[in-house]
Amino acid sequence: MPSALLERPADLSAALERAELDFSAMTDTQPAPELRKLFEDQALQYMDQLYAAALRMTRNPADAGDLVQETYVKAYAAFQSFEQGTNLKAWLYRILTNTFINGYRKSQREPYQGAIDDLEDWQLGGAESITQGRTTRSAEAEAIDHLPDSDVKEALQSIPEDFRLAVYLADVEGFSYQEIADIMKTPVGTVMSRLHRGRRMLRDLLADYARERGIAIPAPATRSKR
Amino acid sequence: MTDCGCDKAKAELEEYLHRELSEQDFQDISEHLENCEDCTTEHLVGLTLTLKMQKACQEKAPEELRAAILARISDVPA
Repeated sequence: MPSALLERPADLSAALERAELDFSAMTDTQPAPELRKLFEDQALQYMDQLYAAALRMTRNPADAGDLVQETYVKAYAAFQSFEQGTNLKAWLYRILTNTFINGYRKSQREPYQGAIDDLEDWQLGGAESITQGRTTRSAEAEAIDHLPDSDVKEALQSIPEDFRLAVYLADVEGFSYQEIADIMKTPVGTVMSRLHRGRRMLRDLLADYARERGIAIPAPATRSKR
Repeated sequence: MTDCGCDKAKAELEEYLHRELSEQDFQDISEHLENCEDCTTEHLVGLTLTLKMQKACQEKAPEELRAAILARISDVPA
């Protein structure tokens, strides 16, 4: 049914509970081999997820692999200071995101994005299509559903990076707004604005792709000129 | 039971989808959605977008990555 809701990944809370149990047994004097085993048991399970996120960040497999390696090295070096019972996955994502922003982003040819949050929607090339009718919207949902995964990835790649990260962390990873704010080091209001604008841009892009593929979506009446 | 109306619902659909609303607001929107086809379709687009992204972004790390990580953390003084 359409009123269905998103489920936070069920395995996350279970994993966190396990993490809490194990970490409560850990002390500052934990010998290195046991610390290492704990790290392997608890942190390495997120490797595929971190890699997927890194792939969306760096846009290529080689850099994504390097970024994940670097993330784990930093995480391991700081693992003694990881606060027991807190969210290990969010902690790893914070390290991943910082490492990306401070290292890879600088070295990639990416337009300056510092002021992206201050840009108006028209400057970003999108416009809210408020008068869009119900028929158009059900066609839109259906079209999104029928697009190949590659279109979704391409659309994600082409929205501004800060928007992409917020959307990825909320929609793919299921982090709460507060967790995303902590990971991205921005106020919750900024997270919400990035999410809203990022998702709006994705919808517009996917609607364009659908039309290019001949999947019919009537053009909304207020569509802005590009 | 009073309906919260489309304006409130539309403004909060994204937070509804991400489960960020207070219990009361969540109830209000849920009740509104039961009776408003227009907002329900809008919610469906948002939900479809999220589910589609979740599906499209599944990736498996290359085989050698795990070994590379294990080798590198062996050099880290813990």
